[in-house]
Amino acid sequence: MLFEFDDDQQLLRQTVRDVLSKECPPALVRSVADEGTDPAPLWRTYAGLGWTELTETTEAVELGILLEELGRATDPTPLLATLTWFAPLAPGVASAEQTGTAVFDGVSAHREPLGDGWILDGTGRHVLDGDRADWFAVVTDAGVFTVPAGEATVTREDVFDPLLHVADVSFWQVRVSGESRADVDVALARDVALTGLALTMVGACKRVLELTIDHVRTREQFGVPIGSFQAVKHKAVDMHVAIERAAALAYFAALSIAEQDPRRSTAAAMAKAAAGECTTVVFESGFQLFGGMGFTWENDLQFALKRALSGELLLGGADVHRARVAAALLDAPAATTVAATASEEPHAAAV
Amino acid sequence: MRLRFDDDVEAFRAEFVSFLDANLPTVEEAAERPTSTAQMPEWTRRWQRLLFDNGWLLPGNPPEYGGRDATLLQQFVHLEELGRRRIYHSFNPQGLGIIAASLLTFGTDEQKKRWAVPILRAEITAALGMSEPGAGSDLAGLRTRAVLDGDHFVVNGQKIWTSGAHDADIILTFVRTDPDAPKHKGISVLVIPTDTAGITRRPFGSIVGRDDLDFNEVFFDDVRVPAANLIGELNKGWHVANGSLGHERTMLWLSFAERLDEMVEDFRPATALDRDRYATLAMDAQALRLLGSAALSRAARGEEDVASISVLKLFGSEAVRTAARHALLAQGADGLPRHGVTRPFEHMNLDWFFASWFERYARSFSGTIAGGTSEIQRTIIAERVLGLPRG
Repeated sequence: MLFEFDDDQQLLRQTVRDVLSKECPPALVRSVADEGTDPAPLWRTYAGLGWTELTETTEAVELGILLEELGRATDPTPLLATLTWFAPLAPGVASAEQTGTAVFDGVSAHREPLGDGWILDGTGRHVLDGDRADWFAVVTDAGVFTVPAGEATVTREDVFDPLLHVADVSFWQVRVSGESRADVDVALARDVALTGLALTMVGACKRVLELTIDHVRTREQFGVPIGSFQAVKHKAVDMHVAIERAAALAYFAALSIAEQDPRRSTAAAMAKAAAGECTTVVFESGFQLFGGMGFTWENDLQFALKRALSGELLLGGADVHRARVAAALLDAPAATTVAATASEEPHAAAV
Repeated sequence: MRLRFDDDVEAFRAEFVSFLDANLPTVEEAAERPTSTAQMPEWTRRWQRLLFDNGWLLPGNPPEYGGRDATLLQQFVHLEELGRRRIYHSFNPQGLGIIAASLLTFGTDEQKKRWAVPILRAEITAALGMSEPGAGSDLAGLRTRAVLDGDHFVVNGQKIWTSGAHDADIILTFVRTDPDAPKHKGISVLVIPTDTAGITRRPFGSIVGRDDLDFNEVFFDDVRVPAANLIGELNKGWHVANGSLGHERTMLWLSFAERLDEMVEDFRPATALDRDRYATLAMDAQALRLLGSAALSRAARGEEDVASISVLKLFGSEAVRTAARHALLAQGADGLPRHGVTRPFEHMNLDWFFASWFERYARSFSGTIAGGTSEIQRTIIAERVLGLPRG
């Protein structure tokens, strides 16, 4: 196995990075947080560049690159929810400029007593971008329903991250047509969402490390940059190693989605768990190494810290996903485990 | 990104696999077990010679040195197959991996013929004389002196750790030949046969047991070494040291990945906490292989990549140590007995690897201490990767 980005993928990353440095600079992110600037023009720019059409599972690695860079730039648009929560559950429903998200839990569906429609009932809590989506994909035991946002009652939560949109999405006996229901691969969709969130967190953690490195190289105490002290260096290295580990597992999950590899589900759990572990290390050490300056509202460090930490709190934390990894490796039939796959599949031996 | 190697690499693997299937020593043949890293029972020598003669010992070498001019990726799948089948590459690992490699890089043709080929063909074994009581992480601070006297060097001083020295035929010895030069510029390298007068080798026990004799103190007392045994140029020994430690570093992570795979097989969690730790182990094992594969890709393109090698060493060695600790702790009081068997006997592998959980935990520290401690690695990464200022 060759686990490196090819030339096209490297070019994509550079292109995304260049665009974001112009279109989504720290000043814009700050103005969204402080002045309520509407990120809709930025969203239209993304759509114009074709980024909102990266929805084929075969493009999962490319989507991952985009999401990592957006996480690094603390993107204020609903792209993550649209491409990784909504699109895998409702392929082809939204236009390139429309937004969507998913209600994974909390809503049940019943057949209409008379007629061929369905009744949706219940509340999905903490739905990413639930307050600004054009569409909802609602996961129920009876299948996935794709419904326009106007059918739901939405309440945005006031959360610690000023850039994060999270809402409770309620359906009070809402009638929807039979055509809005589809049988889609929800397990795959969940893995895409986990992997997308993991890469977003990795990007945010990279941003924290970059800002921290800049800070400790320039901040002087006792007449020298504090980055020359071993206690500081070694913390920074632990951040770097945690990021490298999380990035590797997240891109492997993306690759397993793109290649329809049987290890996909375990890989996605590993990706989300590692991103959470990385966040713990990076949040604490980054915040700590910034000293009092990291404690202020004016410092942009807060946006990246919060993007990573909110990611850890969504879709299950590291402990939840480690439990899933353990269950997959210890309780499932041997053929689905990583070790067994490696020994039966010589060509994939490097993984 | 892709999940598979190219066909030519897989064809190479298949050829090696069929060689192993046809020629691997049987369990009965391998009954006599090595007692140190330079003590090779006759069957291990025969096996290494067979690998050498067929170009499978170090496939990247030319045929006269036990290889077949293989590419880096071919060399990788060769090591991967050895690891997967739990075949220890050489029972004189430093001889093969560091000393013979240094001689092939820095030695004259005569020196290659005299020492490198016999080491590779397991006719002699070798130990590495680098560390001293006062020169560990600060290797360049070594003080063992060598003074030229006619056509001989006269060597005085002491080495320590020198694994397997009491069983080795030669010691590749780093000595100070110019005490007035800056410390990196006064070092030279000598091949010293261990039967030379004035050498005392004193093996000492490890934390595993007083009878676990691999470490040595080696004392040099007016030892006369022919000037022809100088490897590389006089006072250019630091160059050789860097080259020596650089050999195979690109794939050093693979041995940590193998230890992690063994832990994944052997650690059977009972409690919820053990299961949580097991998941961490499985993730570490997967992540190390992925990061190693990325580094391999860069190396295959010829990129110099010292920094990521440090990341892999740090991450891999600490992951193994963490996993071994968790596996031991999961045993509770059942982890107390000194002797124990924690995985099935593998006749081509070192016995260390299926010893008691305590021994596996203790030996995991060789990964985080030897070859540059974790603390040294962190400082290297901070300065070379993250660009932090030197302290």
